[in-house]
Amino acid sequence: MKNKKKLMPWLFSFPSLILIALIIIFPILYTGYISFTNMNLYHWFDFKMIGFDNYIRALLKLDSGFLMALVVTVLWTVLNMILQVIAAYFIALGLNHKGLKLSRVYKTLLMFPWAMPAYVSILLWRVGMFNTEFGLLNQILKTFGLSEINFLSTNVPAFISCMVLNLWMALPFMIMMIDGAMQSIDQSYYESAKLDGAGFFARNKYITIPAIKPIMAPAVIMTTFTTFKQFDIVYLLTRQKGALTGATFQTILTYSHENAFVSNNYGLSSAVSIIIFIIIILFSLYTNRSLKEENQ
Amino acid sequence: MSGRKAKNIVGLSLLNLIFIILCIIALLPIIYALSLSLSGDSGALSSHFSLLPSKISLANYQAILTEKPFLQWLSNSLQLSVATMVISIGFGVLAAYACSRFRFRGRRTMLMMLLLLNAFPQILSMFAIFRLFKDMNLIDSKIGLVIIYAGTMCIFSIWNMKGYFDTIPVEIEEASKIDGASDMKLLFKIVLPLARPAIIVTSVMVLIFVWNEYLFATTFMLNEHSYTLAGGLYQLQSSDYSRSWPMFSAAAILVSIPILIIFFCIQKYMVSGLTAGGVKG
Amino acid sequence: MKRFISFLLCLLMITSLLAGCGTKKTTTKSGKTDTKGKAEPVTITVWHDGDEAIMKTIETKLNDSLKKDQITVKFEKKTGLSDQLKLYGNDASNGPDMYFYAHDSLGTFVEMGVLAKITDVVGEDTMKDLIPMTVDACKYKNDQYLLPIYFETLLFMYNKDLWKGEVPSTTDELYDYMVKNTDTKASKYAVVNQHSTAYNVAPVINGFGASVLDEKNQPALNSQEMIDAVTYNNKFAKLQADGDYNTVSTLFNEKKAAAIVGGPWLVSGIKKAGINVAYKSLSDFKLPNGNPLAPYSGVQGIGIMKHSVEEKKDALKKVLEVLAKPEVGVELVKTCNCAPANTKSYDDPEVAKNEMVEAIKKTADTAKPMPNVPQISVMWTPTEAMLAAINKSNVKDIKKAADKAQKDAESAVADMK
Repeated sequence: MKNKKKLMPWLFSFPSLILIALIIIFPILYTGYISFTNMNLYHWFDFKMIGFDNYIRALLKLDSGFLMALVVTVLWTVLNMILQVIAAYFIALGLNHKGLKLSRVYKTLLMFPWAMPAYVSILLWRVGMFNTEFGLLNQILKTFGLSEINFLSTNVPAFISCMVLNLWMALPFMIMMIDGAMQSIDQSYYESAKLDGAGFFARNKYITIPAIKPIMAPAVIMTTFTTFKQFDIVYLLTRQKGALTGATFQTILTYSHENAFVSNNYGLSSAVSIIIFIIIILFSLYTNRSLKEENQ
Repeated sequence: MSGRKAKNIVGLSLLNLIFIILCIIALLPIIYALSLSLSGDSGALSSHFSLLPSKISLANYQAILTEKPFLQWLSNSLQLSVATMVISIGFGVLAAYACSRFRFRGRRTMLMMLLLLNAFPQILSMFAIFRLFKDMNLIDSKIGLVIIYAGTMCIFSIWNMKGYFDTIPVEIEEASKIDGASDMKLLFKIVLPLARPAIIVTSVMVLIFVWNEYLFATTFMLNEHSYTLAGGLYQLQSSDYSRSWPMFSAAAILVSIPILIIFFCIQKYMVSGLTAGGVKG
Repeated sequence: MKRFISFLLCLLMITSLLAGCGTKKTTTKSGKTDTKGKAEPVTITVWHDGDEAIMKTIETKLNDSLKKDQITVKFEKKTGLSDQLKLYGNDASNGPDMYFYAHDSLGTFVEMGVLAKITDVVGEDTMKDLIPMTVDACKYKNDQYLLPIYFETLLFMYNKDLWKGEVPSTTDELYDYMVKNTDTKASKYAVVNQHSTAYNVAPVINGFGASVLDEKNQPALNSQEMIDAVTYNNKFAKLQADGDYNTVSTLFNEKKAAAIVGGPWLVSGIKKAGINVAYKSLSDFKLPNGNPLAPYSGVQGIGIMKHSVEEKKDALKKVLEVLAKPEVGVELVKTCNCAPANTKSYDDPEVAKNEMVEAIKKTADTAKPMPNVPQISVMWTPTEAMLAAINKSNVKDIKKAADKAQKDAESAVADMK
């Protein structure tokens, strides 16, 4: 009986763990293995182990450009997450307002950006919104008599443009998560709070936020990872081959893409991948610790 | 009293206004795409663009539906996303329940590990999965893709649902436990109905992930007829030089419509089971 | 709740059904060995990442000619072809038998060891009618790996209704014309070009005697010639809108730009927009140093995968022989305005009449084939980063931008080994 009790959770988790081992752990191990070989264009099929050479080279590549990219990535992640969570919170709050009859319609419409494949949205934004000659944003500026802006040719406007696009693409998920969490709050709490005369802020601070926090924590953490790993937006908007826009800021993924992956040197790029993975782990251990301390 | 009512009405109108503006912002690029797609084949991109096309033509939609195996792609997308959803939610529910209700050794470590593993950029896994699938004979097979998708979304499902399971009071289950219900029975009879919003949200997430994924779909599927919607769209219209924007945006709109329908339909199930079933029932 | 469970069960059933379908499909695929008559039917799969109309033309022509040999050729589009070939290049069960692509990635595939020489299958004399420039472009380390089919190069295309007077014959005169006839504020342009795309700036770079890669295949982005070339190009870029492909082609198609520097892929859009277009070879423009503009030429050719040579040698031979004949080229001119690699194709009266193909053919003498060594694949990003910095972000110190690009390019080339 006791043994059965111990086995039970593993039995429950077993199917998931198999899948994860196959699709997530195996590739990491394989990447680790390749990172110790000289697999590149000239040794595509006949590669052999070469020890830590790739790691030494990869670490030598971690120059100022890499550090800058890391700083940009952290800034990108933090700014995006703050804006995203706050905006989504207030939107979800509005959607849950009792008197809002059309909330279902609004909710569906707000989900629209999410329903499109990412690269489609990004291309649409690049050509339809940000384009200098006929992009919608510049046409709006023009009708107000303002001069055109080349949104993507210099770093700061391009970074902000990428962030706007990321918000546009990521908010639907956040709104849906927070909305779902808010649905789970027992309405009787609010009723008694109202009787106690609690105002808007008090209700949010003492009921809504504490109630949704445990549900939201995993979603927020996951989104933080996704934001950190975000590659498509920066790449497709500003750095696509043949369509470079002039902005030069990079995240660590675009930076290593350009510095290792384009070269077809799989050994080296695997070493870079493993190093980035370690950096992400350190980063997340750090954020997780601060999260844990807050919780306990 | 009437003053308060008036204030309420003003507040509500303001809220509605805010949401209308928000929706317009969210939809602007999509309206742009819609208008482009309806402009017929004459209008490529245009500098004197208006949100309402001067003449409306469904030629682009017709071209996609007839010239490309669009319905085949739609059916592939449906099969893949439903299968992925069933597997990753099914497996995920079990693991999430275990992690939420059992206090076993290695639980914390496992959860942490899963989270960290999730940090590995997925594009980098492509090559390894290719090698693995080649040996397992899973290239060019839907099962292979479902395994990839389910594996990718599994961690997300576990974490997301576990967070929600944690908020369901254990007391509700304990009452039934005394009645002699088994773990499985508890899970299906009590926890799942209560966690309905979480399960729906997670399922939709999985569905959208599969629906919009194109990189693995185009790399591991080798036949035009086995592409998914996103993959087929990517395959046909990826290069600036060969892209017909009106047709591209028409296809993009068509790809998103099924998702929106699903959104609209699931919303009435999103209301929590906690207040509806748990406390009262 | 019961409904939910039954729903789940239904889904599970659908999934298993689906799984059944999946396996069934693979069995029919492998069981396709029905021997009928003497010649066994062979299917040759060709992967490409090109224009579907062009590929359809070639496919139809091939299948018509090869029907009696029971050979079927199937062209399949693969986006990101070079990444796909890295995975499937030597995969006999899933990969293609041949691939159809531009010649500049040739070196990469040869070094990777997935390509067979076409001379393993057909004799050298198959190439005797082809334009020598195209044949040489398809050689890597003196071996012939691709059979050239058609080639592309940039042209000066102008709108006859908008262009005032004669098109000048020197780039300096062209610049004067642009200064006079450009009003960026009103979105009116004389000439537009993708001024930050390496391929589109190459005519100036090559004309100045600069080169992205030097003779030893090392980056040469900060040579004096290169700096002079990009400085000269920058003058033009200032009068050429943003330079993004979508922007410039739209401006031209909407009659807001009188001329565009672009390739044959623009033509169908231009024709659709109803532009009264005329073409001029870029080699008709002289640079201040007396050299003509020298655009890159990209040769589109077909190569064979190593694994397929053993099994399908005879079929591959027949396919290549049909493709080397002038008829395919003539068909390509008629349907898609491609400039064929076969000189005999140009004897056809209809081909001789085609103004654009004529202009491309003319450029063939001065055009420089794109390099096809593996190093070139990592050179585009640094080169274009330099061009974007100069032309789009308006970096003042061109030498510094070139030095940075050179450093990045050197490390990218070093990373390959």
